[in-house]
Amino acid sequence: MPATEYQGSFLSRISIRRNQVVSMDGNHEQELEELEIFQKNISERFSDLISDDSSSSSNSASSSEPFLSIAWVRKLLDVFLCCEAEFKAVLIMGRDPSLISKPPLDRLIPELFDRAVKALDICNAVMHGIDSVRQCQKLAEIAAASLEQRPLGEGQARRAKKALAGLLSAMGIDETSGGHKSAERSWSFGRRGGGGGGVSVTKDRGSGQSRASTWGVPKNWSAAKQIQVMSANLVAPRGAEASGLAMPVYIMSIVTVFVMWALVAAIPCQEKTGLATHFQVPRQLGWAQSMVWLHEKIGEELKKKEKKGASPVGLLEEIQKMEKLGQSLLEFSDGFQYPVPEEKLDEAAAQVADLTETCRRMEDGLVPLQHQIREVFHRIVRSRTEVLDVLDHAGKSSAPSV
Amino acid sequence: MDSPEAKAMPLEAAEKLILRWDSTASEDAREKMIFESERVEIDRYLLAVDEVRRSMSGVSLSDEDPHASSTIQIAMARLEDEFRNILITNTRPLEVDSLAESTHSISQSTYSLSESNHSFAESSSHHHPSDLELYGGDDDDDDDLGSDEAKSSARRSSSSGSINYRSTSSIREIDLVPAEAISDLRSIADRMISSGYTRECVQVYGSVRKSAVDANFRLLGVEKLSIGDVQRLEWDTLEVKIRRWIRAARVCIRVLFASERRLCDQIFSGMGTAIEDACFMETIKGPAIQLFNFAEAISISRRSPERLFKILDLHDALVDLRPDIESVFQMKTAESIRVQAAEILSRLGEAARGILSEFESAVLREPSQVPVPGGTIHPLTRYVMNYSSLISDYKQTMNDLIVSKPSAGSRYSGDPTIPDMEFSEFEGKTPLELHVIWITVILQFNLDGKSKHYKDASLVHLFLMNNVHYIVQKVKGSPELREMIGDDYLRKLTRKFGQAATSYQRATWVRVLYCLRDEGLHVSGGFSSSISKNVLRERFKTFNAIFEEVHRIQATWLIPDNQLREELRISISEKLIPAYRSFLGRFRSHIESGRHPENYIKYTVEDLEAAVLDFFEGHPVSPHLRRRSQ
Repeated sequence: MPATEYQGSFLSRISIRRNQVVSMDGNHEQELEELEIFQKNISERFSDLISDDSSSSSNSASSSEPFLSIAWVRKLLDVFLCCEAEFKAVLIMGRDPSLISKPPLDRLIPELFDRAVKALDICNAVMHGIDSVRQCQKLAEIAAASLEQRPLGEGQARRAKKALAGLLSAMGIDETSGGHKSAERSWSFGRRGGGGGGVSVTKDRGSGQSRASTWGVPKNWSAAKQIQVMSANLVAPRGAEASGLAMPVYIMSIVTVFVMWALVAAIPCQEKTGLATHFQVPRQLGWAQSMVWLHEKIGEELKKKEKKGASPVGLLEEIQKMEKLGQSLLEFSDGFQYPVPEEKLDEAAAQVADLTETCRRMEDGLVPLQHQIREVFHRIVRSRTEVLDVLDHAGKSSAPSV
Repeated sequence: MDSPEAKAMPLEAAEKLILRWDSTASEDAREKMIFESERVEIDRYLLAVDEVRRSMSGVSLSDEDPHASSTIQIAMARLEDEFRNILITNTRPLEVDSLAESTHSISQSTYSLSESNHSFAESSSHHHPSDLELYGGDDDDDDDLGSDEAKSSARRSSSSGSINYRSTSSIREIDLVPAEAISDLRSIADRMISSGYTRECVQVYGSVRKSAVDANFRLLGVEKLSIGDVQRLEWDTLEVKIRRWIRAARVCIRVLFASERRLCDQIFSGMGTAIEDACFMETIKGPAIQLFNFAEAISISRRSPERLFKILDLHDALVDLRPDIESVFQMKTAESIRVQAAEILSRLGEAARGILSEFESAVLREPSQVPVPGGTIHPLTRYVMNYSSLISDYKQTMNDLIVSKPSAGSRYSGDPTIPDMEFSEFEGKTPLELHVIWITVILQFNLDGKSKHYKDASLVHLFLMNNVHYIVQKVKGSPELREMIGDDYLRKLTRKFGQAATSYQRATWVRVLYCLRDEGLHVSGGFSSSISKNVLRERFKTFNAIFEEVHRIQATWLIPDNQLREELRISISEKLIPAYRSFLGRFRSHIESGRHPENYIKYTVEDLEAAVLDFFEGHPVSPHLRRRSQ
């Protein structure tokens, strides 16, 4: 686990710092060195996210998690948590608290807080997105379980078809009605289900996702917009500021926005239109090269999806797979006629096995992923609180009371 | 749950019946719902389903008849639609009115004080009593926000639950779906689950009930606000929302969610707790998270002093709800909801601690330098003491939350901008009590600094006397605050304003009384010392001039407290009047025997007595002391 591995170095850093604080007084050289270590660590961690087969990087020990899979996203969040911990060490530990209440940090810290709040909302929205993926997973499980049965009869095919239609409609790929928006429930309570009620009831089944996405965040909330606002005032520090605390604040902000952007891209989230163009990783920064590469890759995927018309549900590998297999198996179930030719049955069986495996990976990975997002949420809140405490302290006295 | 009267049905007839109701096959089947037909028809259909299932259980899986599996699938799809339809048509919105009425009292129980939405910074600038409730009015008696009675009743209602809203003070399950529909739903659920259609059943249940909860949320006014929204909203708007949220949360947890839980139990009991739990979670997970998101957003919102008491209200409400949250969400799968509630509580506590700390910083650093005219009570003093007295009202909660002593004392920091406080003097005090005392200490420290901006030394003392006296009065006026501050410290405060009064009198009156001394009047020589008339005349003139000046100036000074004003005047009179009377008695004849005695003896004793009554009223008197005895 990269997180635990890191923990050790993190703690030792703190103790080193403490020792140094006693002996130094504003040693600028040391600050520069810390900044360099911070950048180097970020650079290394993000390059770990680039797997062997997808990059030309010579990093041999890098991950085997498929790009944008649940496991990969979890690793991304691990990286975020590490960077965040280290950032806090650089910003707060052993510092004169009054430093962060003076320019330029007196301006940068509120901006950082502002980004933090938006990141928290994104965490919440993504949590809901994962819940909606779990809804889809359950529909996929119905279909897979039904199609696994032998002999495969009309009944199983019909059952699978129903589940798959619901699945695809929940994913916003609804062939029967125009777009997923209209699949939102149109029942009103208390109305008796007479006059065509049966039809609408049948059609409305399983459109869990479009409804689930309205929980938690207001209707007009847009994930893409949040990302845009988060990155809008991101300006690299210049001149003397570039070697001071303004730099780690800038770096951490880039890391945060990038990670949030990737989360929004990977997981169903309310309103993603324009996501591909809303955020760019500055290309000239040495420590950000892996991030630039990852950003490009994810951006390409986003654009591919946007070209197809529909705004993407989520680039998560498992979701993509579920969508593809779902469509293919829906075709199979739709055209089902007993008896089915052997080779067609084999082909379907392979896809069903694939779908079952995808569901299993979701079953194993989504809940831990949610816990991890919650952890990210907590960490952002905690850091904010800690910085606030330091600010409070700085406001109370010029010298710390030991 | 099978109909007892129905007889066995031939398999062929059963299959035929199921196919007749295949909604994908015929328009008629699509238009009508079985469970809206005659009871006989319903029973016949259920019997048919059972018959087909029984026929299937006889054959082994391998040579299972694809035809029969198809029939069962058609039946299950049909039952799913019927299940959904029954759920939808029997869903009635919550009767919010009956609940709203009962929660009405809560909305009125908030303190007007905590509704003050003024930032601390404003306390330094001009103060408009009408605007700043927290500062209180000028009248000592009604300057705190709301009478004690209102406060204590508010505390009562928020803790133990008064008769008025008994309905949401504990879990109260209501019937979300009528009993007869429940039995239909059970008969369908049972068949779907035993036929292996559990997932479909859970799914359809969850999707319908979730929408019902959503509709009830709208009725209850539970809003979807992002954390960003909450950060942006004005505090007075948020205050209203917090109050509304507390009310809604009580209904949601004790009535709405509890009843949803019971509905799951009513429909699925005996079919496995896993299914029951799954249905419940499917229904309320999203809503519960949405509900808690607001409290979470508040717990991480900006810290500023005026927010403390609403945050405490929210905290108290959650503490109060906690056992019911634990009970409604007791299943393992709802752990994340229980955890979130606990996290929010701990964050609210953290926020309260942070706010108290910021309040202390603000009291210490409150920067206004313009002296309040007339040396009266500074707005900061009113603000801080009203705040402290509110803290004492929330003593119970605050004692739980404030667990560390104030970080104070110049003894350690060597910082002259922070007052000193010797904690060892206050042994046995809780951390919260120490904070309240500390707040009083830093308030006085700040006031000491402010007093230096008065040019008149007497006014410096009068200002401190007024303010410390106000502090003492506030403490005495609130039994809770008095208990927290303690009699020892109260005595110290009392002594302090007594000293200020003495210092004032010394600064002003020593000079005046000095004119009335005997020394220097006598021309020495011989037996009978004689009086120097010239010196005596000068004395009278000086006395008159000084007294007139003091009278003119100090009439504009203000002691708002009637009793204190009275006492100080009496104390002045007690010194001034006998001295003057005696001086007059001894030397009057010397003046009156000369020319124009009225130029020297301008005032009778009664004149002075009357003049002292003009002091500290806060408005100017006529430039020349009136001669009342004329």
